Amino acid sequence: MMEAQTIIKPETIVKPTIIDSRGTMCPGPITDLFRAYRNSNLGDVLELWATDPAAKSDVQTWAKRSGNELVSINDEKGYVRIQVRILRKGVSR
Amino acid sequence: MAVKVLVIGGGTGGTLAANLLAKEFAVEIADNDIQVALVTGSKFHVFQPGLLEVAFEGKAPDTIVREERPLVNRKVAYTEERVERIDLRKQEVLLASGQSLDYDYVIIATGSVPNPDSIPRLREASLNFHTSTDESLRIWHTLKQFEKGRVVVGIAGVPHKCPPSPNEATFLLDDYLRKTGKREHVSLTFLTPYPRPYPAEPLSKVVEPLLEKRGIEVVTFFNLESVDPRKKELYSLEGDTIGYDLLIMVPPHQGADVIVKSGLGDRDGWIPTDKQTLRINGYENAYAIGDCTNIPVSKTGVTAHLEAKVAVNNIVSSIKELGKLHKYTGRINCPFEVGSGKAAFVVGSYEMPVKQIEPTRMRQLMKKGFERVYWRSLSGSLDWLLDRYFGETDTTENMS
Repeated sequence: MMEAQTIIKPETIVKPTIIDSRGTMCPGPITDLFRAYRNSNLGDVLELWATDPAAKSDVQTWAKRSGNELVSINDEKGYVRIQVRILRKGVSR
Repeated sequence: MAVKVLVIGGGTGGTLAANLLAKEFAVEIADNDIQVALVTGSKFHVFQPGLLEVAFEGKAPDTIVREERPLVNRKVAYTEERVERIDLRKQEVLLASGQSLDYDYVIIATGSVPNPDSIPRLREASLNFHTSTDESLRIWHTLKQFEKGRVVVGIAGVPHKCPPSPNEATFLLDDYLRKTGKREHVSLTFLTPYPRPYPAEPLSKVVEPLLEKRGIEVVTFFNLESVDPRKKELYSLEGDTIGYDLLIMVPPHQGADVIVKSGLGDRDGWIPTDKQTLRINGYENAYAIGDCTNIPVSKTGVTAHLEAKVAVNNIVSSIKELGKLHKYTGRINCPFEVGSGKAAFVVGSYEMPVKQIEPTRMRQLMKKGFERVYWRSLSGSLDWLLDRYFGETDTTENMS
């Protein structure tokens, strides 16, 4: 059973972009997340699937530091699903 | 009809693969039962770890470059020409001249290419030791003129080849500035998109105190969005701004043009490849090795070397009907120079996270020693020694 830590209001739900990094070691998951971040738009939800234990804390720290929203962390069988909503992304000057 | 094995790409992986195939099938090639061919778009072969020494120690570029042809076994049919298109379904490769080559088995080893243009104005703003001997030499000449200010070294985007190289560049630059008495007038900043100076935590624990001891500022979680060369400012996707006087960034890398044009790669041009058998997904007779794959290991020469052996073993097994399937273990072994004449190694595999290895003088001597044996290692004649050093890199199972 999945247990979301944060309840998302229905009007804010967008279809997440799945980033499947299962089976990759650090820095695989965070590298894949950053590649997706580069191609994302404000409001997008990125959902990282990772087996690497470092992914959870790395993404949490990055979201906090960058001003993006950590939506949920769900422990699945053998992997973790982490959702981040993109709220901050610089624009070219 | 001879069985045709074609290798595309004349870097570390491609050159070794062609040479191993030529040794393995020496008799069959002489009897015209098998043909081994190598096609490469470059006349020259660069020992790429040496680019750091050209950039930060003033090493002569010609000492790290050799002509490719003499490095390739004479039994290999050698073609020096750019590949325009690869058709895995038709088992055919189109060359720039319009000539086409067909094959029964193919190994693609087309490497990765820096793509500074994917970040606005990065190319004009930044020096770069990842592209060519000329670019590296430009850094050396610039450093000789540089007297004071803020130097920013770092990672402009991911992925990039040789993961330790941005850290190595920072340490070697610090060495240079201290040796020349300029360090007190220069502030040094290391910039990375990752959460820590080296992405893998065990090795970052080794690197962090060294950076601190040398007074090198570290800025993490900085995904470079763009550069303004006029204002000399860097902007991150996260919304941060950093100024610089001299900029040395490793650009993000992507797959080779021919992979993109042939529709073989993902969005960034990496070939979807089985991380163990090294077969290109969906093909029994096509392999990808080295930087060009999408498999989750470092893009380095050592990786290309070890993967070349697995791909060759699988082709040999198929042609000789040995019933064995060889699988790459994901073993990596990257030298990691930390300045002051010391080096560590990045060691790990699919099953073994990167280890914490302390830098020593001996490890730096091993790195320098490898430079001397690199050219011979391309022939495959040193594998008896390298196999002992690397341990298990290739597991074998019987095919049912």
